[in-house]
Amino acid sequence: MASRLCRAIRPIASFARKQLFQQPAVAQLAVQRRFETTDAVPPPETRPTVRPHDPLVKKQLTDFGQYVAECLPRFVQRVDVTYLDELEIMIHPDGVIPVLTFLKDHTNAQFLCITDIAGLDVPTREFRFEIVYNLLSLRYNQRVLVKTYTDELTPIDSTCEVFAGSNWYEREIWDMFGVFFANHPDLRRILTDYGFEGHPFRKDFPLSGYVEVRYDDEVKRVVVEPIELTQEFRKFEYSTPWETFPTYRRIEAGEDEAVPPETTEPKQ
Amino acid sequence: MASRAVQQGFKQVKPILSTNHHEAKRRVLNLYKAWYRQIPYVVKDFDVPISVKMGREKVREMFNKNKHITDIRTIDLLVIKGQMELVETAQIWKQRPHIMKYFEDTVNERPADFLGKFYDGHDP
Repeated sequence: MASRLCRAIRPIASFARKQLFQQPAVAQLAVQRRFETTDAVPPPETRPTVRPHDPLVKKQLTDFGQYVAECLPRFVQRVDVTYLDELEIMIHPDGVIPVLTFLKDHTNAQFLCITDIAGLDVPTREFRFEIVYNLLSLRYNQRVLVKTYTDELTPIDSTCEVFAGSNWYEREIWDMFGVFFANHPDLRRILTDYGFEGHPFRKDFPLSGYVEVRYDDEVKRVVVEPIELTQEFRKFEYSTPWETFPTYRRIEAGEDEAVPPETTEPKQ
Repeated sequence: MASRAVQQGFKQVKPILSTNHHEAKRRVLNLYKAWYRQIPYVVKDFDVPISVKMGREKVREMFNKNKHITDIRTIDLLVIKGQMELVETAQIWKQRPHIMKYFEDTVNERPADFLGKFYDGHDP
């Protein structure tokens, strides 16, 4: 009796299993690769100076980016895949916490680790600061860049409640760029000295700074004095820092040719 | 043109702390009071050659330096920075040179006359 029942059930069970496997995999990053087949495989890149390009990886990233954009249409403004096969998600500054929470908690994303928060200053833009959240998913071995923007006075929501690791990164951004993070648990300087004025990574911060610091023997302490340079001390070096052909090295360095290039070569 | 002005008038900005001028003013006054009450402890803790009166005058001068600012968010940001400075001072994270930095007692005054500027190497 029992065996007959089993015989009756087994085909149904196997059918159900098949059905389960044939469900379309929605924007899965790693699993998708196993099921896809390509008929014409291009030969692998062997040249050492050319970056190998995998169209499958790019397609997966594009699909995933599209999926994120469809899930969060209110915040995601644009999704790019760079030429280095990195996914960039441009979001509205109001959506920092929802988007990062989504990327952290979604089963198909699992970006549990915040690698870095970077800042960028472009003074000509209306919103001059760009904040880049650098996330890593250990589960899928993927990285993603979440970009947003702000200006000097617009606060951005702190992501410390999502990622505890962003505490110091945001302090660094505050210190270097002066972007204020709302609801940060401990926002204060992290890199500059106490009493330092200004934000050094802003483009309008002079290279020499505003003050100089020295030890004064009369008052027996370190004193801070305003510095004034009529011309900014900037050394412009136009030559490439990389190794060039030795015959042309002097010409590229912008020097006068005191010795013709032929005579510098070793005599044979 | 008029429509743009109207749009700008209605443009919503995200407040940092305060939503109106009254609130911003309260915050500034609170910060000033906190600094005012902290000054005796600063003088005592840091062993600086400064009297309490001089310290309070310096605080007043620092606040008056920004009295022309009317933008609420700028005021808020300056209040936040002043608050951070106060915490650094009260927790004695700062040291004596950082306190004396406000008084600029070693900074030479810039000459105003022509010859003085010439000797100093500045533009006339």
